[in-house]
Amino acid sequence: MLLRLPFTLSSALLSPPLHPHRSKPFSSLSSSPNPNPNPNHSSNTTLPLFLRPLSYSAPVSSLLSFRLWAESLALSSVDDPHLLRELSWLIDDASAHKHPRNDSLVPLRAELHELYELWRERIEKRRPFQYLVGCEHWRDLVLGVREGVLIPRPETEMVVDLVGEVEGFERGWWADLGTGSGALAIGIGRMLREDGRVFATDLSSDAVEVARFNVERYGLKDKVEIRQGSWFEPLQDVKGKLAGIVSNPPYIPTSHLPGLQPEVGLHEPRLALDGGENGMDHLLHLCEGSASALKSGGFFAFETNGDAHSEFLADLMTAKWGKFFHNIKIVLDFAGIKRFVTGYCR
Amino acid sequence: MVFSLLLKRSKTPKPLPLPLPLPLPTRNPNPLRASPRSTATSPLGLSIAYGAGALSGTWRPSRCGEASRSSIAPLLGLRSFSSPATTAAIAEPPRTCDGLTVDAIVGKGWTILDEGESDWRSHAAAIAQSVQVIKKRLQWGRMIDKSMQLSAILNKSDLWDDPDYAGRISREHGEIMGKIKGVNQFEQELVEHIDLLKLAREENDNELEAESMRALLEMRRKAKEKELEAILSGDNDSCSCFIEVQAGAGGTESMDWAAMVMNMYMMWAQRRGFAVTVVEEMPGEIAGIKRATIKVHGEYAFGYAKAEVGVHRLVRISPFDSGKRRHTSFAAVAVIPILGNVSTKYQIKESDLRIERFRAGGAGGQHVNTTESAVRIVHIPTGISATCQNERSQHQNKASAMAVLQSRLDQLEIARQAQMNAEHTQSLSEISWGNQIRSYVLHPYRMVKDLRTNYEVSDPDSVLDGDIDGLILSFLSASLDKNEDRA
Repeated sequence: MLLRLPFTLSSALLSPPLHPHRSKPFSSLSSSPNPNPNPNHSSNTTLPLFLRPLSYSAPVSSLLSFRLWAESLALSSVDDPHLLRELSWLIDDASAHKHPRNDSLVPLRAELHELYELWRERIEKRRPFQYLVGCEHWRDLVLGVREGVLIPRPETEMVVDLVGEVEGFERGWWADLGTGSGALAIGIGRMLREDGRVFATDLSSDAVEVARFNVERYGLKDKVEIRQGSWFEPLQDVKGKLAGIVSNPPYIPTSHLPGLQPEVGLHEPRLALDGGENGMDHLLHLCEGSASALKSGGFFAFETNGDAHSEFLADLMTAKWGKFFHNIKIVLDFAGIKRFVTGYCR
Repeated sequence: MVFSLLLKRSKTPKPLPLPLPLPLPTRNPNPLRASPRSTATSPLGLSIAYGAGALSGTWRPSRCGEASRSSIAPLLGLRSFSSPATTAAIAEPPRTCDGLTVDAIVGKGWTILDEGESDWRSHAAAIAQSVQVIKKRLQWGRMIDKSMQLSAILNKSDLWDDPDYAGRISREHGEIMGKIKGVNQFEQELVEHIDLLKLAREENDNELEAESMRALLEMRRKAKEKELEAILSGDNDSCSCFIEVQAGAGGTESMDWAAMVMNMYMMWAQRRGFAVTVVEEMPGEIAGIKRATIKVHGEYAFGYAKAEVGVHRLVRISPFDSGKRRHTSFAAVAVIPILGNVSTKYQIKESDLRIERFRAGGAGGQHVNTTESAVRIVHIPTGISATCQNERSQHQNKASAMAVLQSRLDQLEIARQAQMNAEHTQSLSEISWGNQIRSYVLHPYRMVKDLRTNYEVSDPDSVLDGDIDGLILSFLSASLDKNEDRA
């Protein structure tokens, strides 16, 4: 029996071992914990919206006028039906889950004027929705995110499935390089047995802080270890012992950065996107390093910029580095793009 | 001796009848309605409004919390029995001292008077008649056969090699035996009360006679409730279900109508305490929906909703017609059970699936940040597909779409076994637009009429607000009682 449980939809929101009242705001990990839950305290605003206390309330009618205002703002700028869905989710996250029956006051996790500001930022500054609410739903997880940390992408979800297909993965030591919010590390960590571990590295201290927060929230401190540093640098002690390496490294060619959609280009960290002149800088480094970091028979899965990049990488690893790797495969994402390169260390 | 025994028994307090399966619908606390132009969205997305005009696409399912277990347990059975020995007892129908059985009582043709009349023959006849109706609705003969089959399986020595299967069989057997036992007990009670009453008359015991009369009256009322409960005794009635609505030809007007129909079901489900989630939706360009699927989660959701399968017709002055002309539009409704019973589940092979990102385009990956993560899954051998776009992660959209696909394939499987199973409901593609089941007229007069039962409601607004239990029940009882009794 594997320890993999089929998580139901509701369990993502309700039942992971969450201790929202115990989890600290991101910043409190570096500063001293603040016992005073004063909602105006700046640290509290860095908590994902859905984890903040229900310190406020507003009449149903005010919330309704906010909704109508927000809808018209959304429709006046871009014709995007997803914005309306995002608006519903914003309100979901900002209010209590339970229906306030016969109650004209709705308990809220942020002041109403804050919601107005957030939505204005969404529409006018194209601030990503996930930064607005401080979280991203990814697989069956709800991960905290904030500025300075890449918002995990739906494509990347599949990497966890790729790992789940590797024989004996659940007892091995894994590395997630450039973990960002910790998405892959947590996704894998939840499938591991007692002796399995994930070492997740990131250069960015923002990412390290957020990843630690998420790891703690899912109760995985014993399984997932976050280490700060560039790629393999913090992993010298486990060199040659890894059962697998996964990574979603920056892979966008530098010249493409100015043309990115505003949500990405203006708001997400360049460190997590810029893949150098042709986008391959980090991927090549990872492939090279994997040869010595993986143990014999170890698995790797890397996300790439797609199609040509995956083909290039797969060719390289089959031909030039064929003495280190074998069984190299290209895996499509759900959009049919050749997104991932996987293989094994000889 | 007999006397004291009977007396003792009659004084034992009877278990109170369980509440009616149909709690009166409480008025919807939300005053927002979905008449054609009233698009309003509650701030919490609690009520649903299908938009005419600019706000289309804003509708969200109600978050009515966990599906409360409704009060409709399969009531006839109070306790489940798994001993095959009990089957033998069924063969012998209970008799009074002078040999009357339930069937014999009906055969006497005693006049059934008002409940107020203290005439034991009238009560007895009414109860006996109810017992026959209940048995018919339960498909008594089929049920007995099934219990025997299950007993035979349970007696196999290697049954528990597959504990999962064994557990299911044993549960199913327990449920059926419970129902059978429940009806038998009821019959037994009837003949005992009759005996007791006759005895009281012989002994000139007025008090006992009055008490037996009261007991019979009580049984008579209980019998009426049991008749209703027996309506929901189909194989999959207790399952949750998907409800799908598709707009007919006729553009915006009929898409708006489809949205109104879907809204009606969402509000109905909310009243009943079912949890509703929107799985898939294709909004119309101007208003309404081309097609949508919701999941209705709760006990007996399918049992009720299956009455809605077919084409719903609307007649009104179209708000989308500047000429203010009268329009007739159609919406097709399909209902798919979400099977709990694994034995009928269609086995899906992973290799038969093609999973696509809906509206794929662009470079994807780090290039794009979108909260749109809709997934479509195609089952290649059958061409059946399912889409989900309403969850917040692609992973969960995939899981939801997979659940819909599973149910659609299950439905195919059920259809394939239709010869054995008369409970087959049609999928949207099978429903012919000629198969109209209900007509909603808003102009020139106002009325909702079920074309199958001729049941009428003169207030279309209440129906469109989800007050459809009357329509559903009249259809369910009519269709069950019409069925040839296979007993």
